[in-house]
Amino acid sequence: MTTIEGKNKPDSRTRYGYFLGCVMPVKMPWAEKATMLVSKHLGLDFGYMKETLCCVRPGPWKAMKTDWWLSITSQNLANAEKQGIVMVDTCNGCYVSHWEALNELHEDPQKVDMVNAHLKKVGMDPLRGTAQLKHYVEVLYEDVGIKKIKANVIYPLKGIRIMRHVGCHIRRRGDDTLLNYFEEILKATGVELVDTPYDKTCCGLLLYFADANSSIFERIGKKMEIAKDLNVDGYALICSGCYDQFERAIKIYRDEKGIAFPTPVIHFSELLALAFGYKPEDFGMRTCRPIPVDAFIEKIMRLREGK
Amino acid sequence: MMSKDEPPKAWSRLLEAGKKVTTHTQAEENKFYPLRRTFKPVAPDIAKASLKRDFEQGLVYYVGDEAENDRALCGLERLPPTGRSYKGAVEKKREILEDAGVFEKMSFDKKKGTFQY
Repeated sequence: MTTIEGKNKPDSRTRYGYFLGCVMPVKMPWAEKATMLVSKHLGLDFGYMKETLCCVRPGPWKAMKTDWWLSITSQNLANAEKQGIVMVDTCNGCYVSHWEALNELHEDPQKVDMVNAHLKKVGMDPLRGTAQLKHYVEVLYEDVGIKKIKANVIYPLKGIRIMRHVGCHIRRRGDDTLLNYFEEILKATGVELVDTPYDKTCCGLLLYFADANSSIFERIGKKMEIAKDLNVDGYALICSGCYDQFERAIKIYRDEKGIAFPTPVIHFSELLALAFGYKPEDFGMRTCRPIPVDAFIEKIMRLREGK
Repeated sequence: MMSKDEPPKAWSRLLEAGKKVTTHTQAEENKFYPLRRTFKPVAPDIAKASLKRDFEQGLVYYVGDEAENDRALCGLERLPPTGRSYKGAVEKKREILEDAGVFEKMSFDKKKGTFQY
């Protein structure tokens, strides 16, 4: 767990606050619901973090001015402190923004003074250094554990062929810890992970403003092509930012190129919910999907019925 | 290497949306004031529509009627516990943006919701 003070271990009374970000509540309500179901199913004290605002991506904002980014991001950190929760991100982009902010503040106490001056002006409590952060895969792997996750799988998703979409920022910490957690948890659901050369390729989201063609056709488009060629049942991702880019690319290919890719984009939490025995309608799985999930659900149901 | 092909129409629409919320166009004004120095605005046109939403709602995407219905269909509260439900949090963010000098440097007029350049 990352804090301004460094690393801390959670205790058994840990209260988790889900930081939704911008994309999740608007475009992925099925993933939000699945995440809530899974977390409570596993016995976590898991609620929403309230009053959340855009994480503000460090990439473009730091390119303009680091102090701006730090000042805005710190409002979310101060709210997490006030609410006494461990802030949990499922979006890799949100996670990296909070993680980098905590590190910057840890390394440079003068920056803490700067952001506290802004917070004070708007009537907020200053940062005390108690904000705590975890990526959702850390919560599941470290605090719940693979053993308990596997024990809750009543319908192993055997035979479901999944192409993983890792997302760059899950590796931003400089090691593959979070990536390995993501992979181990996916395996715990029983899915078959199909290796492709593009598993770790960037979705292209942050490239979109500068070079839209490369962003769509040379990054995410390559993934969509190989997923079709390999006839996988779905992509598994966790990052809402990457999902946003998938949705954008799906629409551009469909509306501007006349190409309808068949592979649905599935959130990691949906796979867990299905493996735990939840029905697709328990989390609105068919709602607002740019690529329908009917064939995916049919295959899951056939598996459950042992056909 | 930058692609030389025409960008997607979706990208062009986003660029146009950014230009629409910009009050002054340097290329146009330079015809009348040729000695005026051209400068590169801090906020690029392509990012302005997203920045405007962030500056006004605290989030890049807005939860409108359609999203509210989708949320209800998924068994969630119609409004998420984000800045969408907490206007005070958004107002504080706007004050921080102003205090930090972001609005001024980006020439964002928070009353009109437009960028000067």
